[in-house]
Amino acid sequence: MTLAEGGIDLFLPHTYDIVWSLIILVIVALFFYKFFMPKFNAILDERAAKIEGNIAKAEAAKAEADAAKEKYEAQLSTARVEASKIRDDARAEASHIIADARSRAESDAAQITANAQRSIESQHQQALVSLKGEVGVLATALAGKILGSKLENDDVQSSMIDKMIDDMAGSDKK
Amino acid sequence: MVEAMGMLFAAESPDLPTVNDFLPPEILFQGTPFALNRIILIRIVATIILLIVLGITASRAKLIPGRWQSIVETGIDFVRESVVYQVMGETRGKRYVPMISTLFFTIFVFNLCGIIPGMNMAANATVVMPLVFAVWVLIQYWVTAVREKGLWGFVRDECFPKGVPWPVYILLAPIQLCELILIRPASLTIRLFANMVSGHLLVATALAFAQYWVIDATNKLAGIPIGALWFVFGFVLTLFEAFVAFLQAYVFAILSTVYISMSYPED
Amino acid sequence: MDIITLAQVSGSLSVIGYGIATLGPGLGLGILFGKAMESTARQPEVSGKIQMIMFIGLALVEVLGLLGFVAALVVA
Repeated sequence: MTLAEGGIDLFLPHTYDIVWSLIILVIVALFFYKFFMPKFNAILDERAAKIEGNIAKAEAAKAEADAAKEKYEAQLSTARVEASKIRDDARAEASHIIADARSRAESDAAQITANAQRSIESQHQQALVSLKGEVGVLATALAGKILGSKLENDDVQSSMIDKMIDDMAGSDKK
Repeated sequence: MVEAMGMLFAAESPDLPTVNDFLPPEILFQGTPFALNRIILIRIVATIILLIVLGITASRAKLIPGRWQSIVETGIDFVRESVVYQVMGETRGKRYVPMISTLFFTIFVFNLCGIIPGMNMAANATVVMPLVFAVWVLIQYWVTAVREKGLWGFVRDECFPKGVPWPVYILLAPIQLCELILIRPASLTIRLFANMVSGHLLVATALAFAQYWVIDATNKLAGIPIGALWFVFGFVLTLFEAFVAFLQAYVFAILSTVYISMSYPED
Repeated sequence: MDIITLAQVSGSLSVIGYGIATLGPGLGLGILFGKAMESTARQPEVSGKIQMIMFIGLALVEVLGLLGFVAALVVA
């Protein structure tokens, strides 16, 4: 082991060592200060700016998407309102139509009923009139046969018929 | 180390590394202030590699980083966020980021030279390179202190802190002044330098023993297993040295930041 | 070996000195890392800060051990 030999010399700088160390330090420091760090700082700043720009772009896209969504939703809600309005209209119209149809049907029915009533009435009247004539003739013949006499006088004949009919009608009314 | 690896002839004892490894002979421009020895040559090569690699990375730097660029950016980010901003905050720390980055990257690469085959010697393994870094930090924190507090304000705050009974100042003031001027740079220097020296000695010792037992020992039966164990030990130590290279760069950077931030008035 | 010499040490004393010099920093590192681990377990949210302070402390402790190493080299 020769560790001891010249140990102190390790800590005694040589002139040339100092010179070279200084030269190298100055070169390295100049390189770092003037070239390396500014270059990389520029790159890093640019990257940061770019990332920020991208973030801004993404935010813009997001805002755009939000606006589109909002617009879409607004459209959707108006469409929904419109649809419900149309549905209401249709419902109203339908009820209107139904009411119309019902009223028309009712009026028709009333008319038909009235017509029927009227024709019944007239037939009734007719029947009454014809019945009156026939009953007169029949009664006259019957009475002639019963009385055995011929009622020559027309006046008597007709007054008799009328009286009979009135009696019938009177008994009829009671 | 080189001697240890290069020695293929039988030897009496393992060719252990010595401190003379750190005092290599001058090989170029002997006797001038620009003399070169092995360690300085390693340092220059490491500097050139550092400048070329980082220079190419920086000049080719793109917005969307490739694999290598993101590794470098992770390093830059690490220094800025985990070291500088963590210690002194963003507003104060901004101006020191280039300095601390310089220190971190340079020291890291210089340390790594200690485990690169062929170099096998950290470029920080003479006392001067760490000393130069430390003196830079010393100048920086004094300059910061003078700018922020004024010279007297800084010395008063550090050497005569408030709320201490005055007799204590007799003891405290010289110690603190010594700390400010001498101990801080000295501890930075010694920590880095001694780590590199001890790391080299450890790895080289393990590998020297491995070589001795495998190649030189006459008893091959015992020699090869023991040598293999020594080799594994050397391999693990090499990995440990890689970790130490990073750790020392980190510690140097964070202590420099702490010293600078201690020059600011407390907020 | 002389009769008068009761004990003799051969080899480098500085190695023993360095061995003794590692004791203090070893204890210090143990306490440092143990406490850092404990605080991280108690408050994981500030683990980054704790780690940073731990490394500063590690650096200060480490320099003591390295002073022993350097002293062994210098004062041989």
